[in-house]
Amino acid sequence: MGGRAERIAFWGSGAIVALVIAIGLVSPLIGYDPAAAVDYEQKLLGPGAGHWLGTDAQGRDVAMRLMKGTEAFFLPGLMAAGIATMAGALLGAIAGYAEGWGRTLVVGFLQLVDTLPRLIFIILVCTILNPSITLIAGVAGVLFIPSIATVIRRKVEALGSEDYILAHVAHGFSTTRILLYHILWLQARPLLIRQATYVFGYVLFVETALSYLGDYGVQEPTPSWGNMVAQTRELGGASAWPWVFPAVAIAVTIAAFLAFGNLLARRDEEAIR
Amino acid sequence: MSRALRLLLAAAGRTGGALVLLMGASFVIYITIRSAPGDAIDAISPMGTPPQVKARLLAEFGLDRDPLTGYFAWLFRSARGDFGDSLVVAAGESVMAVAWPAFKITLILSGLTLLASLALALLGALVLGRPAGRQQLLTGPLYVITSAPSFVQAVLLAQGLNWTIHRYWEQLNYETPPWYPIPIYTDSLMPYVFAGLALLLGDGLFMDFFNAIRAELEGLRDAQFIAAVKAKGARTWGHIARNMLVPLVSGYAARLPIVLGGVVIVEYIFTLEGAGYLLLEASRERDFPVVVGISVLFTATVIGSTLIADVLRTLVDPREVARGG
Repeated sequence: MGGRAERIAFWGSGAIVALVIAIGLVSPLIGYDPAAAVDYEQKLLGPGAGHWLGTDAQGRDVAMRLMKGTEAFFLPGLMAAGIATMAGALLGAIAGYAEGWGRTLVVGFLQLVDTLPRLIFIILVCTILNPSITLIAGVAGVLFIPSIATVIRRKVEALGSEDYILAHVAHGFSTTRILLYHILWLQARPLLIRQATYVFGYVLFVETALSYLGDYGVQEPTPSWGNMVAQTRELGGASAWPWVFPAVAIAVTIAAFLAFGNLLARRDEEAIR
Repeated sequence: MSRALRLLLAAAGRTGGALVLLMGASFVIYITIRSAPGDAIDAISPMGTPPQVKARLLAEFGLDRDPLTGYFAWLFRSARGDFGDSLVVAAGESVMAVAWPAFKITLILSGLTLLASLALALLGALVLGRPAGRQQLLTGPLYVITSAPSFVQAVLLAQGLNWTIHRYWEQLNYETPPWYPIPIYTDSLMPYVFAGLALLLGDGLFMDFFNAIRAELEGLRDAQFIAAVKAKGARTWGHIARNMLVPLVSGYAARLPIVLGGVVIVEYIFTLEGAGYLLLEASRERDFPVVVGISVLFTATVIGSTLIADVLRTLVDPREVARGG
């Protein structure tokens, strides 16, 4: 990507990411009663002064539900990204640095988890256990450990024989310090940023997809971008406003998180060099 | 040792590894079943299941034994393709009799979609060549559009089509065209085409493929051995094509799980009678043998596709054999 276009993409996607994070943080502080929001006299209004993004079939404000809908994926997304990044970094570092049985066990575990088709396994878990978005995010976090661990493992293997790492070893630095600070923090940070934003985007996808299906995600009347899109089933062609904005929000947010993660990581890589 | 023997040994080694992985993955699925809260048999059977059916399920899943013995008993049954009988979605029929025809639909839909995505990405990479300033006017918006989940693409496609047909077609007193995919209780192939389109446009699949292929092509064009071929005055395309086979095959296998994830919900939206639709129906009805059977089939497909890619890579790339497969 060229200089100017990359800057526009970076700041554009960054602004959307910042907006989603700000809404995700502020939204829980705003009181919202989904039952009290129903007003059939205001149903299916187009965007206007009173309702910026219009209203749905029950007269509920689409903008407000869109804002409250971020709660469904924001904290779960952070949780999944945290689980996948921390465990993936740790296991990847062990697999790349350790030798013998420890390495074999970790690599075997990573390969095993990596073979499970993510969404299918999440549906299986939801069928067996009491489904909740926290459970779904937890499982998604665990299922992403191998993809993060694999890139970290390659990085650690590549850096393990570098002169400056050998110099740290010769200086008597502890293995933990070399791995956590000199390799993971100083060198592998861009990879972790990229992967963490990817996991966040995936949780947004899973949450909205399962809420769209209606069985295991967020249930009406609690808002989720997924169950807002699902209104297409009841509305038919009556009005597009209630579902077009959440559908666009899903697409734009996922694209923004992926692009921002990639571009931030690229900038960080250049800074490291 | 002859090359053929080394190839055979490498393929056998990889097949063995894949079987071990499949066993491990099936163990994870089995342990997940056993981790059901309370009485596992109540958790995995639909409401109102007769006691004799519960007893049969208990035996089929080895829940009346310790985890390890129970797992091996279940594994041996499953390895023979016996996942028990469906409880609700096709009550009394064997799971494989229900799941396999549906799974074939899913596999064909996913496989062809991925093939189309690969072909388009390769074509795009060949036409566009190296990244250049003005290309971002095309690739930038394409990146945003194709990052949307496939289920969002499916909803937008279905609704857009719905709106267009009703507004411009039926208002002119034409009948709904026979290829119209909604509702899809027809024998038409069009719903599958729309489902494939939604999968192709969604989940970041196309741009991911395109970027990977373009990077590989760039790397190859800059490679020293290609420069040497050029210096000799020979054609480079044969060399590039042969060296592109490995990343294309690996890329295909690596992206199959992404498509298999998306296909579940896209099948549901277009009511295609594939394994994804069946899985969701079975999950909703708590038809546990069907859910487990389909989960195992999906997992085996992921492992199988990786195995095929590995073996093909070994065939194409002599360095793989030299490394010991």
